[in-house]
Amino acid sequence: MSLALAIETSCDDTAAAVVDSSWHVHSSVIESSIDQHRAFGGVVPELAGRAHLTTIAPVVRAALEGAGLDPHAPAIDVVAVTSGPGLIGSLLIGLSAAKAYSLAWELPFVGVNHLEGHLFAPLLERPELEWPLLTLLVSGGHSLIVLQLAPGEHVVLGETIDDAAGEAYDKVARWLGLSYPGGPEIDRLAVSGAADALNLPVSMTGDDFDLSFSGLKTAVVRATQKHPEVALADVAASFQAAVAEQLLRKLRRALETHPEVRGLALAGGVAANSALRRGVGEIAADAGVGAYLPSLAMCTDNAAMIAAAGLHRFAVSGPSDLGLSARPNWSLTEVS
Amino acid sequence: MNILALETATPACALGLRTDDGFEVGWVVDDDRHHTEVLTASLARLLKEAGLRVRDLDRVVVDRGPGLFTGLRVGLATALGLSEATGCALVGVTSLELLARGAHAGGVRGTLVSVVDARRSEVFTQRFRLDDEVTALGEAEVATPRAVAIEWATNGAAVTFTGDGAARYRGDLSVVPNAVIEEQMVPSVAAALELGARREPIARVEALYLREADAVANFTTRQRS
Ligand SMILES: [Zn+2]
Repeated sequence: MSLALAIETSCDDTAAAVVDSSWHVHSSVIESSIDQHRAFGGVVPELAGRAHLTTIAPVVRAALEGAGLDPHAPAIDVVAVTSGPGLIGSLLIGLSAAKAYSLAWELPFVGVNHLEGHLFAPLLERPELEWPLLTLLVSGGHSLIVLQLAPGEHVVLGETIDDAAGEAYDKVARWLGLSYPGGPEIDRLAVSGAADALNLPVSMTGDDFDLSFSGLKTAVVRATQKHPEVALADVAASFQAAVAEQLLRKLRRALETHPEVRGLALAGGVAANSALRRGVGEIAADAGVGAYLPSLAMCTDNAAMIAAAGLHRFAVSGPSDLGLSARPNWSLTEVS
Repeated sequence: MNILALETATPACALGLRTDDGFEVGWVVDDDRHHTEVLTASLARLLKEAGLRVRDLDRVVVDRGPGLFTGLRVGLATALGLSEATGCALVGVTSLELLARGAHAGGVRGTLVSVVDARRSEVFTQRFRLDDEVTALGEAEVATPRAVAIEWATNGAAVTFTGDGAARYRGDLSVVPNAVIEEQMVPSVAAALELGARREPIARVEALYLREADAVANFTTRQRS
């Protein structure tokens, strides 16, 4: 069995975790700088970079100590780190620190794709789930439908052609005067609203698996200008229903196209959304396949999932070179 | 004492090593902002050449700025990682004092202004007196090259400018009648090793940004993932 320390600093969360190759999480520590970004209505890269530099050492130390390891000579096999995609100024802090730890401990290090990290979450929380999986990876930065044949073997069936789902949530929330981040706020309001109050279009009704959320955001702006009398909760419910409808429609179609699929999975920050969780659960039950709805801690960015992906990448491809660059736009389709 | 120095405050990336056995080198390994790619890889080569391991280091001295924010963070994150991983001590120095000490070692005496390119048409500067010693005469600050030039042109005193900012804004600074520009693009790694040997280590090394993050941010935001 091998043991990995992983570091994740791709956006505003500084995270470190220790995970073994049986997918047991020994420790997982997250320090978020979200409070510093709230007033700006989005993550400010320079603030995130500064925060990572302040928190990286204590977070790594807490992960090592939490796993009962000697911080100066931990009995681990590899140091994994997110090397993309993400904010360049944030990525390079985790990457530089990971290289330094690995050189100092004389251990190999491996760069991990952040999105591939999200795809390993089911192994950590639902190891008994049958594969292949069909996964909706939806967050503030990304929206993809991925066919996961086996751990580390995945095919991107479709992705957003404009905004990410979480980005649409934040933009609509800002338009409605709600606080940042917008997802949880809209989700909370939608509970008491009527989903048919506004007539919003469902985008991307074609046969492919690509997604689009930018037109929906514009439709919300137009509809609320035209019908200012519609209550906030009703707007939230209508928008949330339209987002979920697009995603679930694509998921259903992908499931029909790939009858070999044994389970559905949600991943990324928007996986915390109640409408989406309910919908995925229903589709899975109808189709008689399993469903993985991640815990809240696994929806948000964390280093445990990076450790899991890192263990796999290290076993398959070996260590990364110390000269490895950060790749802010590293696509999941380029991972091999 | 085995001391390692990391220098990443300007587009250049440099490192130095001084050992108990009398081995001392300073390497400039890149001059165009490839800090992330070259710093640790070069360090591995340097240690190999010296026959040392990271755990043999007693101190890591790191330039904490002011300078390029991304470069600084690569240097500081690397220094933090090395010291956390082994328990070795950390010493912080500034780019401006390294430039002053580098010029001093090169024979410059009198009043000197270190000038580091701060981008956005600004520079980071600090004034020093160079005699037997190197003494800071003021705080590190942000200024426009033009303001620096006007200040020294009007006070008429003899002055030496040095640093990558002095090179970049040579045109602005050349209006100062009594000024000399001392060519020095990279803060001195030899000076960092020297200060690293005698300066008291500190528990936390923080970047010297000299600019507020929200001023830098310019309200550009990016979505959470
Ligand atoms: Zn993520």
